[in-house]
Amino acid sequence: MRPERSLSPARLWAFGLWLALFLTPLAAGRFTVYILGVILVTGLLAMSLNLLVGHGGAYQFHHGAFYGVGAYTAALLITKTSLPAWVGLAAGPAAAAAAGLLIGSLCIRLNKLYFGMIQISLGSLLWILALRWYDLTNGDDGIHGIPLPEILSGSGPTFTFILLVVGVCLLGMHRILESPFGTTLRAIRDNPQRCAAVGINVRRHQLAAIGIAAFFAGVAGVLFVVLEGSVFPDMLFWVLSLEIFIMCLLGGWFTFFGPMVGAAIIVLLRTVVGGYTEYWTLILGVVLILLIFFLPEGLMGVGHRLRVYRHRAAGAPSRGADRAAG
Amino acid sequence: MLQVDGLCKAFGDFRAVNGASLTVRPGDLVAVIGPNGAGKTTLFNLITGHLQADRGSIRFRGEEISRLPAHEICRRGIARSFQIANIFPRLSVFENVQVAVLSAKGLSRSLFRPTRRLVREETEGILDRVGLLNRRVDLAGSLSHGDKRILEIAIALGNEPRLLILDEPTAGMSPEETAATLALIRRLAREEGLTILFCEHDMEVVFNVATSIMVMQHGSTLIQGPPPQVRADPAVQEAYLGRD
Amino acid sequence: MEAAPSLASFLSQLLVGLSRAMILFIVASGLSFILGVLRVPNVAHGSLYMIGAFAAHSIATALGGHPAGFWAAMAGAPLIVGAVSLAAERLLFRHLYEREHLMLLLFTFGLALILGDLTKMTWGADYRSIVPPPALQGSLDVLGTALPRYNLFLLLVGPAVALALWAVSTKTRFGKIARAAAVDREMVGAIGINVSWVFAWAFVLGCVLAGLGGALVSPTISVTLGMDHTIIIEAFLIVTIGGLGNIGGALVGSLLFGVTQSLGVLVLPQFAIVFPYLAVVLILTFKPTGLLRSVW
Repeated sequence: MRPERSLSPARLWAFGLWLALFLTPLAAGRFTVYILGVILVTGLLAMSLNLLVGHGGAYQFHHGAFYGVGAYTAALLITKTSLPAWVGLAAGPAAAAAAGLLIGSLCIRLNKLYFGMIQISLGSLLWILALRWYDLTNGDDGIHGIPLPEILSGSGPTFTFILLVVGVCLLGMHRILESPFGTTLRAIRDNPQRCAAVGINVRRHQLAAIGIAAFFAGVAGVLFVVLEGSVFPDMLFWVLSLEIFIMCLLGGWFTFFGPMVGAAIIVLLRTVVGGYTEYWTLILGVVLILLIFFLPEGLMGVGHRLRVYRHRAAGAPSRGADRAAG
Repeated sequence: MLQVDGLCKAFGDFRAVNGASLTVRPGDLVAVIGPNGAGKTTLFNLITGHLQADRGSIRFRGEEISRLPAHEICRRGIARSFQIANIFPRLSVFENVQVAVLSAKGLSRSLFRPTRRLVREETEGILDRVGLLNRRVDLAGSLSHGDKRILEIAIALGNEPRLLILDEPTAGMSPEETAATLALIRRLAREEGLTILFCEHDMEVVFNVATSIMVMQHGSTLIQGPPPQVRADPAVQEAYLGRD
Repeated sequence: MEAAPSLASFLSQLLVGLSRAMILFIVASGLSFILGVLRVPNVAHGSLYMIGAFAAHSIATALGGHPAGFWAAMAGAPLIVGAVSLAAERLLFRHLYEREHLMLLLFTFGLALILGDLTKMTWGADYRSIVPPPALQGSLDVLGTALPRYNLFLLLVGPAVALALWAVSTKTRFGKIARAAAVDREMVGAIGINVSWVFAWAFVLGCVLAGLGGALVSPTISVTLGMDHTIIIEAFLIVTIGGLGNIGGALVGSLLFGVTQSLGVLVLPQFAIVFPYLAVVLILTFKPTGLLRSVW
């Protein structure tokens, strides 16, 4: 976040890729388009988590809860009320943000691990509700065949819609991270005590960040409904929350696009490996432990380092080279 | 400007600060001295709201501030540096100071304006004043110890403080770094008219710089006055200087 | 459902709740112990509990349903779990102690993923159950209520484990060092104690308790895959409301959790499982650091 820089090549590439993806429904088969949709939705969820973890330094252990709140809000409003489907889709992120602020306000009173433990506790309450309130949620079976607006019928339009929304969200998150709010958030990550000493209300800032991240998680939840037409209690389960941690770790904590890259790799691996073996979680566990030992900064973190070394080897001054990649 | 009276703070049975008093007038360069464990850092933590006092009063510009949280005290114009290099290691040097400037200007919660165009002149001005302008794009964590301490002061300056509190600004520095830091402190006080309160355990450092000296012992105030008066005080000589 | 629950149904539900609380306590105390000493929420704890249950079943089956097989299972299963955790700690986990806590947590999650699938490979997806020895079968008649002997047995085991754990952590050299290491690791290292092994044994002790919980629960439920996922959440909640690292807090939390759920059945059967969670939310709203003092 060097003051001079505006558009880095990485961001131009990402923008180009985003534009190119609009063509895939014309060129690729239904399954490919579906998998791309899964990657985008999961990646958005992981990036919203990374807003808090990589950039905010918060122990957001149960981020999946807000994903689930967004999805269930949309699903319930569409299936149980006579409101137009668009209202349900719009209400999802709002409900997720509200849940984020509510749960967040209980968590931020405490630091680090306690924060995480309390969040797992409260998020699990939502999971239990989704699982046990059978009359409302169909329990373990989830809600299926959620009717969506006409314009979203078919895999092509669905994908285009998801791609559009994810693009807008990424732009929004990027703006937020490059704003004073984002700089201050990273300062809190690095040193909350010092932040208080320069006049920042650390807790309020963190709470706002939780609300924002929960909002984007809620968007991802709504997009899941658009993609699958169903919701499941597992979306609120703690295992999913930790799985998206793996995506952030794999792609790189301290980068912007890292979690999206991580999500793409994990989703593709699951799709491919899952076709050969029923022991996918074993492989995921091994991948995770290898990452922790050998690649703690993730793929994009390492890519950044390599560029730095090459830069130095070429005799360029090292000034600013150690900066975490934006 | 700052008036501390009868301040007490105990940790369990240990009375870290026990009836300390202190006066800082506008334009002063006040030094608090005393051996390690005399309660200097605790006193500063109480003033800046990082600790809550058990008893006593802290008045800043006529307002009682002893019950306010740290960030509120900062907003009233007291900025500080810490004894250990307390910076934002994964942010650039520029951003370290920018965070403080943004906070002082009430921009911390601004969401949709790009940071890189904001408060640039102010931030670079501060970096220039402390001599870190040429390191502005470096990661703060990669600076030398001495530069980190200077950066600390720069962060505090970013708050546009009325009162700047420095906790052992030269601790752990080489003799050259110490001299440079003291020169910086003197310049900030004399040329910019900044009111500064700092603490030191090295006596000689203090007598050359300060306009007023407060001597602390066992958590309480032994004396406060101009350097010659403090140097001549028999109690101080016995308790502190007499060792030489 | 009767309008007012009778004394008999109240008593038997209370016993169900208390015996469930004992299992929860044994598992949660292990989790809390590891949290207190290593400061890591061991996500693999549930998997070790599940392995304990499966291992107990295998041992009991191998001895052909002989009453001694049950006791061998209760002793052997925790040992197997202890061996697994010792291997994981010495081979991998110990290299991470200097790293960020998030990494330690994610490591235990990786371990949970691996152990879950290994359990599936070893034992498969069938439902299993263990028959307790004759002495623990059937019921005792108290005040006209039939109380299952096995539940009464659990009521004896729970306090015994609590007492043993208390003795280990306050009376033994290991316990004292472990508690000191939790507070100031460097100081303990400085006085010439091998902190690494203290941490190892603390981790193993906590995991053994998970295995013991799994073994003890096996006669009361059907042992199957997925039992790891719910127990870990319950144990997390108990430890959080009890105060992180506080063993007494784990006991209080377990009792609260087990009893609110079992008595909730009398009021609102469908939502009984929600009551403990509501209790947790109430407690955390008013006492965010838990009922008893956290060791941190």
